[in-house]
Amino acid sequence: MAGRWQWFHRLGSPKWFYEKTTRWLPWLWGAMALFLTVGLVWALLFLPEDYQQGHTSRILVVHVAVAGTSLSFFPLMAVAGTVTLVWRMKLADMVAKNAAPLGAWFSFLTLATGSIWGSVSWGTWWEWTDSRLVSMLFQFFLLLGVISLRAAIENAETAARACALLSIVGCINVVVIKYSVDWWNTLHQPSSPISMEVGSPNGPEFWVATVVMIVAVYLFLAVSLILATRNEILQRESRAQWVRELALEAR
Amino acid sequence: MSGTNIGTAFLATLKRDLLISLKRRNDILNPFMFFIIVVSLFPIGVSPESAMLRQIAAGVIWIAVLLASMLSMDSLYRSDYEDGTLEQLLLSSVPLYLLVFAKNIAHWLVSGLPVILVSPLLAYMLALPSEGYMTLVASLLLGTPVVGMLGSIAVALTVGLGSRGLILAVITVPMSVPVLIFGTLAVQNALAGGSPLGYLALLGAMLALTISLAPLATAAALRISMN
Repeated sequence: MAGRWQWFHRLGSPKWFYEKTTRWLPWLWGAMALFLTVGLVWALLFLPEDYQQGHTSRILVVHVAVAGTSLSFFPLMAVAGTVTLVWRMKLADMVAKNAAPLGAWFSFLTLATGSIWGSVSWGTWWEWTDSRLVSMLFQFFLLLGVISLRAAIENAETAARACALLSIVGCINVVVIKYSVDWWNTLHQPSSPISMEVGSPNGPEFWVATVVMIVAVYLFLAVSLILATRNEILQRESRAQWVRELALEAR
Repeated sequence: MSGTNIGTAFLATLKRDLLISLKRRNDILNPFMFFIIVVSLFPIGVSPESAMLRQIAAGVIWIAVLLASMLSMDSLYRSDYEDGTLEQLLLSSVPLYLLVFAKNIAHWLVSGLPVILVSPLLAYMLALPSEGYMTLVASLLLGTPVVGMLGSIAVALTVGLGSRGLILAVITVPMSVPVLIFGTLAVQNALAGGSPLGYLALLGAMLALTISLAPLATAAALRISMN
């Protein structure tokens, strides 16, 4: 029992997380730079023009990647929230706390890139009949709700548990909102089936670029979240011996 | 703990909350008046023509209901928090979610029901064709408890806070979106000559889901807020 769960208990130690991520970060940075460069250069310079959309289809490579990533925030926060409520693990809350603003930013970026693409392809910046726009907007609002709840509660531990509960409820709600808005009405094109044939509308040259970009954005998310969490650890543990030693070393 | 004890506590909480609401008529009356005032603004702001009003009537009434319920929810646990009743409820040996559920029912009886009863009159003033009345009332009957119980979670999370400002709205509005969608769709479908039963069934399903889960979440939220 002790052996099997040791990794889980270690994860609860901010110091352990800090030391591990110090080693991981260079690799993550490197991988992110690589994927981001390959994805962007490919999308912007080498991707052939879409037969209908022309150059605007290049925006989609970024948009799809950002949109896909932004959907993972509520599940992430709900899992972290469950860990906070059940095991009272400080680290889970530090991650959740920093995930909320990042998630709001990603949702905003999704709406922004989608609008820019839509303004050219659909001829409108905003379209209420499109279900994904609307449900993303309400996900954005819910994330703002989590952020403002965190800001309003002064006691850090109460705030952690309140936000944990709200994240779990919100996670269920985002799914319900998604499907109800889908049934409400939808003119958004369904996800396009991908094709293996080079030169076809959704051929490999397009979707592989998108996949590269999705990996790049997920790595970006991981790096940002880890950096923010490390900051949070240093702030909350500033009285701990190891943080003081770290500060002295840096000097 | 015997079964009768739980039942007694449930009924006592329900009765107590109803009695308190009757003593504080303003808490009931204000959201109700607010509802009527909001609805009456739409013909002036949008268009007084019945052809136009007919199309937006169901949506206007539903939105006004949501706004009014947000106004009435604000006071849901406040006085109990201030006079210490909430602490006693938390310490009670009766499961908290049952007491929360009783409070939710009491709140719906005094804030949701009056609004629903007056909604056909307002629907008439907004020129909603009579085919839509029954569906509108049915959708409100199924939908307003859902909104109330979801809002109750948000209120419970913010109960001890001095200034909750916009938090309540930012949390409850996105959560109410599915109810708004199916409520208005049901009415529109009835007006178009179709059967609204499918949408009403979805609202019923949501009601069943919220009855089973929302009181639990509210109870957990109250425990967190009260530390």
